[in-house]
Amino acid sequence: MAGPAKKRQKREDNRQEGQMPQKKFYRQRAHANPFSDHDLTYPSCPAAMDWSQHFPAFTVAKAVSSTDALDNDHEHENIQQISQQVAVADIGCGFGGLLFALAPKMPKTLILGLEIRTSVTEFVQEKAKALRNQNGDSGLYQNVSCIRANTMKFLPNFFTKGQLEKIFLCFPDPHFKARKHKARIVSTTLASEYAYVMKPGGNVYTITDVEDLHLWMAEHFEAHPSFERVSDEELERDECVQTMRTETEEGKKVERNNGTKYVVVFRRLEDPPWP
Amino acid sequence: MQHPYQCIAAVGSTAQGGTNSHFLAACGHRLVLVDVNDSKIVSEWSSENATTNTAEAPENDDGDRPKKKQKTVPSVKPANIIKLTVSPDQNHAVAVTDDKYVRVFAVAGGKLEEISQRCMPKRPCAIQVLPDNATIICGDKFGDVYSLPLLPVSIEDAPTEAGAVDSAILEADEPAFKPSATNLTVHTQRNRKALEAQMQQKAFSAKKEPLKFDHKLLLGHVSMLTDVTFATRNVDGRERGYIITADRDEHIRVSRGPPQSHIIEGYCLGHTEFVSKVCLIPGTDLLVSGGGENELYVWDWPAFRLKRKIQLAGQVGNTADSNPEALQQADGETVFQAGSSKKDIAVSGLWIVPCPATNAGAKTALVVAIERSPMLLAIPINQLGLPRGQDVSIAKLDLGHAPLDLACIGNIAVVSLDIREEEQSRFQVVQLQEVKEQAVIRSVRDEVEKGLACLDSFATADASLNEKSLDDLLYTVENLRKRRGWGDSAKEGDDGQDGDAGVDDVAED
Ligand SMILES: C[S@@+](CC[C@H](N)C(=O)[O-])C[C@H]1O[C@@H](n2cnc3c(N)ncnc32)[C@H](O)[C@@H]1O
Repeated sequence: MAGPAKKRQKREDNRQEGQMPQKKFYRQRAHANPFSDHDLTYPSCPAAMDWSQHFPAFTVAKAVSSTDALDNDHEHENIQQISQQVAVADIGCGFGGLLFALAPKMPKTLILGLEIRTSVTEFVQEKAKALRNQNGDSGLYQNVSCIRANTMKFLPNFFTKGQLEKIFLCFPDPHFKARKHKARIVSTTLASEYAYVMKPGGNVYTITDVEDLHLWMAEHFEAHPSFERVSDEELERDECVQTMRTETEEGKKVERNNGTKYVVVFRRLEDPPWP
Repeated sequence: MQHPYQCIAAVGSTAQGGTNSHFLAACGHRLVLVDVNDSKIVSEWSSENATTNTAEAPENDDGDRPKKKQKTVPSVKPANIIKLTVSPDQNHAVAVTDDKYVRVFAVAGGKLEEISQRCMPKRPCAIQVLPDNATIICGDKFGDVYSLPLLPVSIEDAPTEAGAVDSAILEADEPAFKPSATNLTVHTQRNRKALEAQMQQKAFSAKKEPLKFDHKLLLGHVSMLTDVTFATRNVDGRERGYIITADRDEHIRVSRGPPQSHIIEGYCLGHTEFVSKVCLIPGTDLLVSGGGENELYVWDWPAFRLKRKIQLAGQVGNTADSNPEALQQADGETVFQAGSSKKDIAVSGLWIVPCPATNAGAKTALVVAIERSPMLLAIPINQLGLPRGQDVSIAKLDLGHAPLDLACIGNIAVVSLDIREEEQSRFQVVQLQEVKEQAVIRSVRDEVEKGLACLDSFATADASLNEKSLDDLLYTVENLRKRRGWGDSAKEGDDGQDGDAGVDDVAED
C-alpha cells in the first residue's frame, strides 16, 4: 500500500485545487482505535474553535466583544466568529455521503461531519470545497464541512451544552467482540455526552445493518432517562430518515446486497428538575 | 532501605468536641493505625494476610491485553495501598490496593478491622465517602465512576430502588453475549471482514462475571479518570450534590449527584495537558485544578468559568538557596524569571490546610505538591479569587525530600516524605499562618511529631525494596502526559494491534 506521502502526491497529481477528489486516493485502514491518543488536534474548549475556517461564507465582521459566557478568558478574542452555530453533526461520517445529501436540503443550517480517520476527513473537506466551487451561483454547500475528531473523547471540546439539533450515527463500526463493546460509539455513559451537546427536542438518528448493534443502540438509548424513542409513524414522516437510508455510503452498499437496515431515533428530553 | 508512607489520613475523634487522636499510614502493603496521644501503633493490617475473595475477582480483566496478562506470573507480592480516605463521620476508612480491591475498615474505637473487600472491574484511581457516610464513589482508570454502599450488601439483599434511574441502566452494559452477527446480518464487505477476523480468534471472550455486590455505574468518560470529588451547593434553600470528575484528556466534568448522575451540567475546559488533581475551596464556589501544566487553574465551577491561572513554574527548581522559613514574595515578575528551567511539572497534590490569621482567626490555605519536587507551596484561599493580572502570594517550604501525602491533625499538617534511607523520620510536621494576607509555612516542633514517632521505627529495613519499584508506586502522575506525535497507548484497554484493528478498507465502490 502506498504510504501517506505517496498517496498525497498522487492526489495532487490527479487533481487541481477545487476539483472533485477521488475516493481511491483517500482510503485508509478501516478501524482507528478510539482509546489511543493519536495525534489529534482539538480546541481546548468550544470558544477556542475557529469555525470560520470551515464555514467561511458565514464569517461575520469582527465581533465587538465575545458575549460567550464561557469565554471570559479573553484568550479567544482573536478568533473569527461565524453567524450561527453548527446544528447538525454526523458522527463517524466516513466519506460524507449523508452530509452532501443533507446540505442542499437545509442550506441555512450548518452541518458538520466528524471523522477519526485523517485521509477520509481530508476527502470530505476537499469534496466540500469542490462542490462549493461548482455551485458558486447558488451558494450551496457552504454549510457543510468536516473535522477530524475522536468523538468518543472530545465532543464537549467542539460543542456547547444544548447546541446540536440533530446527531447522526450511521452504520457505526460494530465491534462484535464483547471485549470491544467499550469501543462502541453508543454506551449509556456516552449517551450522557450526546445528551449534553443536544438541544431538548433534538433527535439522535441511528442506522445499522447489524441487528445486534441495532438492538444494542436501542437498548442503551432507551435505558437512558434523557432520551425517548421516536415512534415508527413519526420516523416515516421524517425526511432525514429517508436520506440516511439511501444516501450514506454504507446504506448504499447494504442496498446493493439486499440487506436490512435498522433505524431507531431518539429524542432528547428536557432535564428533570433537581430532586 | 525503608518504605516511605505513601498515603496518610487523620482519623478524628468521634466524641463531641474531641480532637483528632488517631492517624492512619499506609506503608507499601501495610496499613497502621496510630494513637497519636499515646504515640503507639494500636493496630496493623497487611494485604498479605487479607483474605482475598478470589471468587469475586474477575478472571480476565476485559480490556487488558490477555496475552500480556498471562505472561505475568501470579505475583506473590502483596498488593500495595494506592488510595486512602476516611468517611466524614470518622468511623470508617476506605483503601484501594493495586489488585483493584476497595477495602473498607472500621476504625472507631482504636481498632483497624477490615470489614469488606470488593474487587472492581478496573483499578480505582479516586475514592470518596459521600456526606451520607453510607456511599462510596469510586472512579477508575477506564473512565467509569461507580457508587457502592459503604457497608456491602450482596446482590440478593440489595433493595430494588425504584427511584434510582442510575442503577439499572448502566448495568445493561454487558448483556448476555451471543456471537452477534451472522453472515446474514452483515451486508458490507467491511463488516464481514471485521466479523471474520473476530471469528478466527479462537473464541469470543466469555461473558464477564457480573460483580456480585451492589454497585451502580454513575457516569463514565472515554478516558482515564484521574480525580473525582463530590461537591454540594445550596440552591434556593436546597442542597444539591455534584460529582466532579477529571481526566487524562484535559477535561473536568460536572455532573449531578446521584440519583441524577447521568445528567452532565457542564465542563470546566481550558487545560491543555492532563488534569491530575481537583480541589474544592470550602466556603466558595471555587475549584482549583492542576495537572501537567505550569499553572494552576482557578474555576468558578458552578458557572464553568475560568477565573484565573496561577503560575507555579518559578517556584520549582531553585530551591537550594532559599530559607525554609522565609516568605517568598511571589510577584509575577520574579516568578517568571526564576522559572528558567523548561522542565515539565506535574501537580501531584492539592490540599486544604488550616492557616490561622494573626487577627482574624480560622482561615485556610491551599497547599500544592509538585511531583518529585522537594517542597510544598501554600496560597491563602482568599488570594485564589483575586482578579486576573493581580499577583497571588505563594509561600514555599523546602522539605529536602519529595512530599507524598498530607493530612491535618488540628492546625498541624503532617507531610509524609519520600525518605528511603533507614533511621530517618519519614514525616515532617508543618504549620501555616497567615501574616498580612500572605501565607507563612514552616516546619514546627509539635506534640504531633512525638505522637507519630512510633512510625519511625515501623518497617524500617526491607531488603526486598528497590528504587525502581518504589518510583513506580510513588510517582504516577508524570506518566499521564501524552507523548504527542506518537501513537501511544497509555490507556488501559488500548488494544490497537489485535482483533479487528487491522482490517483494511477495501475498495468496494
Ligand atoms: C462504517 S463507517 C460509516 C461511515 C458513514 N457514516 C456511512 O454510513 O457511510 C464508520 C466510521 O466511523 C468512524 N469512527 C469510528 N470511531 C470514531 C470516533 N471515535 N470518532 C469519529 N469517527 C469514528 C470510522 O473511521 C468510520 O469512517
